[in-house]
Amino acid sequence: MYELELQQLISEIKKQKAKQVLIQLPDGMKHKADQVADAVEEQTSAKAFLWLGSCYGACDLPLGMDILNIDLVVQWGHNRFNKEMW
Amino acid sequence: MPRLLLIDAKWEGEIKLTKKLKAHLKKTKPKSIDLFASVQFSNIKEFLNDLKKLKIKVNMQKVKRTDKPLQILGCDCYPDSFEKKLTSDMILYIGDGMFHPKALILAIDKPITIFDPISDQIKVVGRKDMERELNRKKANLKKYLIANKIGILVTIKPGQQYFLAAKKLKENLEKENKKAYIFIDDTLNPMNYENYPFIECWVNTACPRIGTDDIININQPMINLRDALDPGRAFVELEK
Repeated sequence: MYELELQQLISEIKKQKAKQVLIQLPDGMKHKADQVADAVEEQTSAKAFLWLGSCYGACDLPLGMDILNIDLVVQWGHNRFNKEMW
Repeated sequence: MPRLLLIDAKWEGEIKLTKKLKAHLKKTKPKSIDLFASVQFSNIKEFLNDLKKLKIKVNMQKVKRTDKPLQILGCDCYPDSFEKKLTSDMILYIGDGMFHPKALILAIDKPITIFDPISDQIKVVGRKDMERELNRKKANLKKYLIANKIGILVTIKPGQQYFLAAKKLKENLEKENKKAYIFIDDTLNPMNYENYPFIECWVNTACPRIGTDDIININQPMINLRDALDPGRAFVELEK
């Protein structure tokens, strides 16, 4: 129902020469996680990993990924926002 | 730090002025519309042309937190979240679900028309649909004002992290001879709040929807950072 935009994903992984990619999908798209991971591993030399938890917005990014040597985090369903400053 | 790629995940269908929506507009006769959508439903060129044919003026609204007109985020839930005042005859949201329309309900006391292009359903919602949350919010603000021991919640998620503001709030509360404790976590989980029964009121500094939508599911009172910094304004905004 929603476009996974896999071609954009694949070309970005190749362009960035990413080796380990974390896939973060909102709840309504999580059932397609296998399609995304398969596409990454079949069409690039990168390894794909899936974020199990929440994906509420671009404000909700997984932390600590550098410990696992994840070099690209890909989040679906949101875009850049301007953080309010207090 | 890993690099980040954000993918819009646009809806695969076509957003059109359907017969049902056309009939609704004919019945309600708006001359102008304040238009919003979530990012999945922002391909609306044809939809805009159709509205033009009906001689309806479209005000493409823009919220302060995004660079793209039309798009609304869940955190745009205060009267000053918008660059321009919402003065059109109708506020129309294109998208599915209630998360984004609820932001509009919280921000303004006006009817919000939702058009879901997937199911072709039209629904008009308003403050009556969030009565429980809004009543609780009002009660929590009063409890905050009389609370002596306050817990300030800080997330380490960068997009929602307001550590400095939390420290400032703690200082302000201590000047009022109140006790304030800063609690730090990744994802704020309501189950954890109950382990601290000495806290009389929580202040959430992360996503403002935690301090609005979720407050009806927890026993202890909670308000948002913005409201804690200016409770007087928060009371006034509840009437807007």
